[in-house]
Amino acid sequence: MDMVKAAKELLLQDKVDIFLGYRKLDGHQIPHGFTKAHVDDLDQLEISLNRYPLEKIACDLAQKDPALKIGILARDCSQRALNLLYTWDQLNPENIETLTVNCCPSPLSTHGDCSYLTPKPTGDYKKAHGVDYNDSPKDFLANHDSGERLSRWMYEFQKCIKCYGCRNVCPVCFCKECSLEHPNLVEPGVLPAEVPIFHLIRATHMAGRCIDCGLCEDACPAHIPLRMLYREVNDAVSDIFGYVPGDHIEKSPFSIIGKTVELTPAPMDV
Amino acid sequence: MTVKRIAFVQELLKFMGLEGRLHLEWISSAEAQKYVDVVTKFTEKIRNMGPNPLRAINEMKKAG
Repeated sequence: MDMVKAAKELLLQDKVDIFLGYRKLDGHQIPHGFTKAHVDDLDQLEISLNRYPLEKIACDLAQKDPALKIGILARDCSQRALNLLYTWDQLNPENIETLTVNCCPSPLSTHGDCSYLTPKPTGDYKKAHGVDYNDSPKDFLANHDSGERLSRWMYEFQKCIKCYGCRNVCPVCFCKECSLEHPNLVEPGVLPAEVPIFHLIRATHMAGRCIDCGLCEDACPAHIPLRMLYREVNDAVSDIFGYVPGDHIEKSPFSIIGKTVELTPAPMDV
Repeated sequence: MTVKRIAFVQELLKFMGLEGRLHLEWISSAEAQKYVDVVTKFTEKIRNMGPNPLRAINEMKKAG
C-alpha cells in the first residue's frame, strides 16, 4: 500500500520522529503513533472512514517536546485544523508532515471518502420537534419562526448530559482554561446543564475557530446536531467578516484588535 | 472588538429564536439625553416582547 510505503519513508529518512495514524486494537481502529524503532508496525496502518482528532494528539506531543517532528495521516478537515493551529501558534508548520487521504465534502472541498459521505439519517420525531442534521442553517432560519426555532433547539439542548465530549474531541479546542469549566458560567456538578447557555458559550467560542470537521456531532451521545449549529456560526462569521477558519493561515477577526471590516451597531427595531 | 462580537452574538441569538434582546449603542458621557432615550426605548421594546421564554423553559425543567 502506497500510504504505508510513504509513511515508512518519512520515518526511515528521519523526516519525522513519530507518525500518527490508526491501527486496529481489539477490533477497534484507534490512533497510534508509529516510530522508527517499530517501523514494521506500519504494515498494520488502517485507513478507513473512522476519524479521530490526530492534530489534537500532535498538539499534546508538541507541548511536551516542541522540537518533535510529527507526521500525520491527514484528511481535508485535518488540513484545516492544522492551518488553524498554525495560525494560533499551537503547532509549528516546520515540524509537521502530512500524508493526505481522501476526505469528506465541505464548503471548502467537494470530493471525499469519509463517514460524512452518507448523510446522517434524522429520525421522524427529531424532524418534527428537533433539528435535522442535514438542514442548512439558512433553510432552518427561513422555514421556522422564532418561537419554533427556540423550541426546536431547546429540545436538542435539553438532551445534553454535559459529558464535554464535543469539547474534548474538538481539534481546535486547545485553551488551557475553558469557559465551560468556569463555575460562574457553568455550575459544576449540576445536571442537566443550564440550557441554552452551555451550548451558546461553546458556539460563541467556535466563532472564527470551527473548521467544520463534524467530530463533535459524531462524538455527541445525545445526538445534538452540533455540526449544523457550528455551521450557522461559520456562516455568520463568513457573512459578517468574510473569514473562513482554516482556509489558510490568517488570524480570526475576533483575535485582531481594531477593525477588520467596517461595522456599525445594528439599529434597534421596535 | 465589541461591535464585532455583538454583531456575531446577535446573529447567533436570532438563529436560536431569541432575537431583539441584545442591543449595542455608543453613548458618550456627555450625551445624557441620548442615554435616557436609548434606555427608555429599549426598556419599552423588551416590555412589549414579554418575559424571557428561557425562564419558563428552565423552571418547567426544574419542576420536572
